[in-house]
Amino acid sequence: MSALAQTLMPEAQACADDYEATRKVGLQRLMQHGFPDQKTEAWKYTPLRVLEQRETQTEPRTMGEPAALPAWPVAGTLLHFDHGILQCDPGELAEGLTLMPADPKALEQRDFDALYGGREGAFSWLNLARFDHAWHLQVSGEHTVIMATTTTDAFSADVHPRIRIEVLPGARLTLLQDQTDAGQGLVNMNCEIDVAEGAQVEHVLCCKNHESVWVQRTDVDIHKAAEYRVVAFDRGGRLTRHDLTMRLREGTAHGEIDGLVVMDGHQHVDWHTEIVHCTGHTNSREAFRMLAGGTSVGVFNGRIHIFPDADDSHSDLNTANLLLSDQARVNIKPELEIYSEEVTASHGATIGQLDDRSLFYMRSRGLSEAESLALLKYGFAAEPLMQIQTPAIRDWALEQLKEAL
Amino acid sequence: MLKIKNLHVSVEDQEILKGLDLEIGPGELHAVMGPNGSGKSTLGYTLAGREDYEITSGSIEFDGEDLGEMEPDERAAAGLFLAFQYPVEIPGVNNAYFLRAALNAQRKARGESEVDGVEFLKMVRESLKGLDMDESLLKRAVNEGFSGGEKKRNEITQMAVLQPRLAILDETDSGLDIDALKLVAEGINRLRDGQRSFLVITHYQRLLDYLSPDHVHVLSDGQIVESGGPELAHRLEEQGYAHLERASA
Repeated sequence: MSALAQTLMPEAQACADDYEATRKVGLQRLMQHGFPDQKTEAWKYTPLRVLEQRETQTEPRTMGEPAALPAWPVAGTLLHFDHGILQCDPGELAEGLTLMPADPKALEQRDFDALYGGREGAFSWLNLARFDHAWHLQVSGEHTVIMATTTTDAFSADVHPRIRIEVLPGARLTLLQDQTDAGQGLVNMNCEIDVAEGAQVEHVLCCKNHESVWVQRTDVDIHKAAEYRVVAFDRGGRLTRHDLTMRLREGTAHGEIDGLVVMDGHQHVDWHTEIVHCTGHTNSREAFRMLAGGTSVGVFNGRIHIFPDADDSHSDLNTANLLLSDQARVNIKPELEIYSEEVTASHGATIGQLDDRSLFYMRSRGLSEAESLALLKYGFAAEPLMQIQTPAIRDWALEQLKEAL
Repeated sequence: MLKIKNLHVSVEDQEILKGLDLEIGPGELHAVMGPNGSGKSTLGYTLAGREDYEITSGSIEFDGEDLGEMEPDERAAAGLFLAFQYPVEIPGVNNAYFLRAALNAQRKARGESEVDGVEFLKMVRESLKGLDMDESLLKRAVNEGFSGGEKKRNEITQMAVLQPRLAILDETDSGLDIDALKLVAEGINRLRDGQRSFLVITHYQRLLDYLSPDHVHVLSDGQIVESGGPELAHRLEEQGYAHLERASA
């Protein structure tokens, strides 16, 4: 057993509750597949040395006072995961929101092998083996939900929050997910979002991580005439990994991903996205940008997968990346896997540096070098955030971008 | 206002300007003409302070200050403006925001108060008058998706808002049709106030028909080889530059 496995899978962590069978499956698969190394294609550019060198504690998971929460630009129902534990009274939610423990039997019947695969899905298996609570949020009507995930300076544990959000037919959800950390632990989050027929979801995912290791998996299922749009704004972390999979399950489903990563120093950010057209008459679009400064390392793997007979599917994937220093690196891999003929699918990828001509043009108009650089970076970075449809959240994100630059 | 003495400039170790002398007084409009590769744009870029344009000898004084020691933004704040031959597209940066940021950066550097949004809008609208430029272009990214003519008119709009003391216009007439050329020339003429000076770099005499230059200079192989009045531009239009190339050969 690897050092990582020994740290993250102590047998004493087995909890005796209704989820025992599910956790057992997770643990078995993890033992079977093991953790990824750099021979694992999906983790080729993301070594886990940082995590291997740390000794995370398994108890206590809560650290006294919860972390302070920032002010958000919209009012909404707050789901606060503090050190991985949801601080929320299910009885106090707004009408139309129902929060409950996930159905243990339903979890047992899920085909997680198809979802997580082998070694590449090790952290998803780990989440399944180690979660404290599995939550299920049902949404009907129109709601704004703020899902905050925080840790404090004393945090040195490994936590595995898990939630499934079910957006019922015709419902509208604005989901603002805000992640920030302190301390030096591991947050390994699993989030499932099911967008039922005719429902609409705007998902804004903001991450500002520091020394803790963050791993997040998000699986989204989009059904007939439903729409899901996510804008991710990631300001990096010591080691962060996001796997976002969007499945267009039924005809006329529509999905969009816009992503922006701004990283600096010795941060390492890895985004793996996958758009799966399971059936025809489905549309998707993805645009992802990274700005890498310092000695940071970025990884973007964007995949479009169109099933056989998924005719009349349309997808476009575009990634543009900017290196702000000689030492920064980005590893980009757009992938198209298409098994149907009557589709349109395209991809494009660029990696470049700030244009000297643009810099001179701006300086010739009176802007200092620092002002010009900031404006040029902002011009490049703002576009994904401009796709946020809720004006107050968009303005808030753009202000945060200005601060980040 | 501007005194250039024996200016030698190299770009990537190749000498382009080879001892150029030029003086421009307050309120004067000078035209510099010359064949391709003679160093016209190099002169403009050097004055604006583009990196990699190395002054190997000679001097440039702007109101008694050594221009060579100033950063591009310091030159702009001192009152120097270069209208680019090929204005740069800057995706994602709002045209109006950029112009206001530039204006306020210059004003701040000069110790003047910043201009608020309302005042700025008034200034821009005034500047747009007569240029037949759609105000919606201000809401778009700087020069992105603009036609050639719109880019040139955007340069003139910037010039009108920034109110430089010396404007260098690098082939602002290239790519313009007759009507647009006239509009741009009128935009320049509106800024002539007896104090503001202009250095107009062009291949052709047609822009000068509208601008009535005080002095016309011919630049060839990195040096000014002939100077005169507006009649010189007419003569060059008739004779071309072939005689200069023969002379330098």
